[in-house]
Amino acid sequence: MLELTLQALFSGLLAGGYYATVAVGLALVFGTMRVINLAHGELVLLAAYVAYAAETNYGVNPVMAIPVALVIVGTASAIVYALLSRINQDREINSLILTFGLGIILTNAILSIWAADIHSTSDPWFQDSMVIADTLFAMNAEVAAFIGGLVLMAGVWWWLNHSWQGRAVRALSSNRAAATLMGVNPRKIEILSFLIAALLATFAGFAIYTGKTVFPALGHVLTVKAFIITVLAGMGSIPGVLIGAIMIGVIESLTVTYLSASLQELAGMILFLVVLFVSPSGLFGGGRALAR
Amino acid sequence: MTRTIAKFATVSALALSVALGAGAAQAKEFLLGSELPLTGSLARVGQGMHEGIAVAIEMANKSYAGKHSFKVQTIDDETSPAKGVAAVEKLAGDGVVAITGGYGSNIIGPASEAAQKAGLVYITSGGVSPELTQRGYPTFFRINNTDGYALAMIGLIQEMGAKKVSIVYLNKDATSSLAKQVNTALTGKSITVGMHEFDGSTSDFKPLMNKVKLQDRPDVIAMVGYENDYVGILRAAKVLKPQVKAVVGVWSLATAQMAKEFPDLMENVYGTSMLPYPVEFTQPEAVEFAATYKKLFNKDPDYLGQFGYVQTRLLIDAVVRADEAGTLGKGGLPEELRKTDANTLIGRVTFDKNGDNLNFTHRMGQHQGGKVVLVWPSDAANGKMNFPAVPW
Repeated sequence: MLELTLQALFSGLLAGGYYATVAVGLALVFGTMRVINLAHGELVLLAAYVAYAAETNYGVNPVMAIPVALVIVGTASAIVYALLSRINQDREINSLILTFGLGIILTNAILSIWAADIHSTSDPWFQDSMVIADTLFAMNAEVAAFIGGLVLMAGVWWWLNHSWQGRAVRALSSNRAAATLMGVNPRKIEILSFLIAALLATFAGFAIYTGKTVFPALGHVLTVKAFIITVLAGMGSIPGVLIGAIMIGVIESLTVTYLSASLQELAGMILFLVVLFVSPSGLFGGGRALAR
Repeated sequence: MTRTIAKFATVSALALSVALGAGAAQAKEFLLGSELPLTGSLARVGQGMHEGIAVAIEMANKSYAGKHSFKVQTIDDETSPAKGVAAVEKLAGDGVVAITGGYGSNIIGPASEAAQKAGLVYITSGGVSPELTQRGYPTFFRINNTDGYALAMIGLIQEMGAKKVSIVYLNKDATSSLAKQVNTALTGKSITVGMHEFDGSTSDFKPLMNKVKLQDRPDVIAMVGYENDYVGILRAAKVLKPQVKAVVGVWSLATAQMAKEFPDLMENVYGTSMLPYPVEFTQPEAVEFAATYKKLFNKDPDYLGQFGYVQTRLLIDAVVRADEAGTLGKGGLPEELRKTDANTLIGRVTFDKNGDNLNFTHRMGQHQGGKVVLVWPSDAANGKMNFPAVPW
């Protein structure tokens, strides 16, 4: 029983790391622009497919494909921003419609280029198992994604708290008009946020390609999961995203172990509703929450 | 004399042109409808069936050349039941003679109901849930069913002499009913069975596989799901290494695509398969099917294409028979299709009163060194099974 519980907690922790890596880009853009980018999951998927194309066509290790994927996803992200910035009225609702549409376009572009087959890395190192104390089991890809994700999130958190641009992001998130009067250029800061989100999406795509399977319909699933975690965390909170994602990962994993795998999504949603019932602003969302 | 020959030639030419003209006037073009998931989570299998339908149309146009021609109008249901219904209604409005396609019992159910209301035949190989034929719709036909898959899985597991089996299955209509059928049959043969249901959103199977490893301790793990589920389950098993003798699955597993894409995971894994890989065809129709498939898609056919081809070809032949009997426009197509008794690429096909093909039985293949070897039943086998053997 102890073995089962420990493995469930360990698997949940690693799953939470995946979820957080996908969700943190969405949370950052929301924190800056008050925009939910519903094409975020498709951007993650785009990065995964770039890694797949690089590995299959050129025999490149997925790690080496990250810079190429970053350029492509960064360009796609900049296009999303350029279109979003043209919305002058009812930005929150219109941006939802726009990004949802862009997500569909991206999904179908991926489907047209790479077909509907499922893919994952063929590099055996990522699939090899890592065993800790003869009790905890994981794939190398999962542990690498978890550690890499933590480092990236810590970097984003440090950047938000200790750099001028990071403080400008927080200022913009807190009060756009006041930040502009204090000399912050909103457009520059917003596009910077989109590019940082593209970096996070690229890493998430790499992590999914090496540790899971990718297929064209996955983008929408990732967006929904990232959205739930962003709301659970408190809209725009980076540490909240990590804690919320791990909570969801652990509760899902424990549900699989002690109840049924078919109930894991339900358990995650119950946790989500309970947190929102107790704290309607989410775990760390009292007001403008970026970087808390 | 010269004048007589010229007259004769003129009369002959006129007669020939009248005859040809009459022939051309009798040739009819039939428009078939196809509703399939070409996008969404079932896009992969939908596109596979779509390719088989295209091959059937190509081959039928060749074999009925000069007499009849066939076209197919395809609508993507986006893996959505509601859009499946809308697609069928649109196809009915566009005047198709019948519908071939459909994937996923949860989509085929409402889509075929819409076809029934429109008086259109709906033939499929993409939904094996027993509920589909239990409705008794006179216009619904399918060439495969849960029983055929279950018999193959049960037969193989029995041949292995397994005493304990863990069934890991997706909680959808078709997968659940197949898993329950296998459970009932194995339990009836004094085999201990552990049932583990999972949701389609599951991507980390380690907690589930750990239960299998530590609590069930089975001889065989049986998987009932789809491609990405199999990959997740096998990866979790490869990490946790449960002490099992075999891993067995059903559809979408013993395929060339899986052998190429996941060679490290597939070795020694079993799945249902009509064909070995590399494909070996001997019957003339099968050889022509493989050649046409290669010509159209530049690849070897897989089981999805094979099923899509068979269902569409049977439909086309029934359409021609109904047209010749003058009953096509008078609701005679279901009756004509029910008269089908054909030896096809998937074996003999006949339909019972509910449109089910009770002759359907599957075969089991095993991934061996990048190939798929048929290992069950013995009369269809083209190799021996590696047992006990697992991918790790």
